[in-house]
Amino acid sequence: MMCEDCGIRPAKFHLMTIINGDRVEQNLCPVCMSRHQKQIPGLDFSNLAGILNNLLESNRDEAEERAEIEPDNAVCEQCGMTYAEFQKGGMLGCARCYQAFHTPLNALLQRVHGNTQHAGKVPGGVHSGVSIRMNIDRLRQKLEKAVEDEEYEQAARYRDAIRALTAQLERRESEIRVRPHDRLEDGEEENDHA
Amino acid sequence: MREFVMAPEQDVVISSRVRLSRNYEDLPFSPKLTAEYAEEVIERTADVVFNTEHGAAFTLLRMGELEEDARTRLVEHHLISYDLLKFVNRAAAMVSSAGTITVMLNEEDHVRVQGLLPGLQLERSAEMALKLDEALESRYPFAFDAQWGFLTASPANTGTGMRSSVILHLPAITAAGQTGVIMQTVAKLGLAIRGLYGEGSEARGNLYQLSNQATLGRSEEDVIRAMSAATRQIVEHERSMREAAEKKDMLQLQDSLMRSWGELICARLMTGREFMRRYSDIRYAASMGYLHAPLPGLDMMMMDLQPGSLGVRAGKLISPRESEILRAKLLREELPGLVSD
Repeated sequence: MMCEDCGIRPAKFHLMTIINGDRVEQNLCPVCMSRHQKQIPGLDFSNLAGILNNLLESNRDEAEERAEIEPDNAVCEQCGMTYAEFQKGGMLGCARCYQAFHTPLNALLQRVHGNTQHAGKVPGGVHSGVSIRMNIDRLRQKLEKAVEDEEYEQAARYRDAIRALTAQLERRESEIRVRPHDRLEDGEEENDHA
Repeated sequence: MREFVMAPEQDVVISSRVRLSRNYEDLPFSPKLTAEYAEEVIERTADVVFNTEHGAAFTLLRMGELEEDARTRLVEHHLISYDLLKFVNRAAAMVSSAGTITVMLNEEDHVRVQGLLPGLQLERSAEMALKLDEALESRYPFAFDAQWGFLTASPANTGTGMRSSVILHLPAITAAGQTGVIMQTVAKLGLAIRGLYGEGSEARGNLYQLSNQATLGRSEEDVIRAMSAATRQIVEHERSMREAAEKKDMLQLQDSLMRSWGELICARLMTGREFMRRYSDIRYAASMGYLHAPLPGLDMMMMDLQPGSLGVRAGKLISPRESEILRAKLLREELPGLVSD
């Protein structure tokens, strides 16, 4: 079960609040749980504090993730989309948003698809950047293997090849026509959502 | 009588569709798409599609320039999605003359290429869509990531960007109250089944749509194979349920189905809801050989008698009452001609 607040981390807590007789139940992850703890005035967690801390401590991954994400404030520099905006509308603003929100999106994709690695068609034609990246990945594996086997000469060759391909990839990516950011802002407010 | 060719498994499977979602890597996605960029999407795509081998067969339709009925008619014939009409001012569609390939433009994603064929033909539908997809990407690169595949506006489509679906006619399974079991079974395979028309659990005309859910982590071939296998199993089950119903009381079955034939060719007023029920009955009857009517012809007629298509036929916007009258009139005039002795 995923956290009902952020929707991207697994729920570890069941929070029940009774306000004026109205009962509200939520399943929350440790990060959102601690936020609720701070936000709800008069909510006394003194009895639970020890348990809560233990759970947070016992799950270091979660704590690390929390430090890393802070997703609400993330902004895509290309199109100006914020993560909060994405969470509201469910749609990303441009291809670069996927990098800008990499960590929370990875968790989201895992939740939606049960997987985070594409296994389908790879474009050919002008999209050679993809094959370059795949070459780099393959060379990295060979490099690791060579280092493991203590074949350092071979490893150096792989290292140089990776450098050359990376430079090629960077050159290629800087060439991809990307419209200036300020032009994206012009008259974008309504987008013809007729 | 017109000639109709039966497609594979057409007694149960009405049509197969494969849709690929793509976005140009250098243009902003749907939420940030301005009128100017939307126009660029249309120009790029039209430029490539018109210049493919069968480019002359395509027509570019700008949603803003069509009458409401004409737009609804496209939805009713499954050529475009209902969602495309959320963006009327910027949306367009390129439709092939046979209606088997459609390219939707500026829906949730820049480009959605669709292959649509009658009966169970998912592989061929996918081939058609992928071929056009390749023509497009060879000219203008689509947003793609080595880890995540094709990048779509909604993460729900990220990966292959492929949604495949079949429309199923399941009168016997529905009558036996077994749709719940089918739903649970397909869910385990990462597929989902729901009523095609109508809301909630209601499936008007006993028509259902089966589609794949996840798009990341499985190849196109893999998904198509799983979809086809699941469809074949449902087809077999539906057939055995039809046979069981016939074995139980053939006269009773014939009586209940053929009464709908009488209603359809005699009625003076026919609501959309009643029509779908009767259509299901006579389609069922035709598949059992009780009525000599071609299934593709019945399906075409079913789509032609939906509200938007009727409006197009009438040449003007018509009231619900007028459409009931026109639907009944067209049924009386055209339905008997579909049937051979």
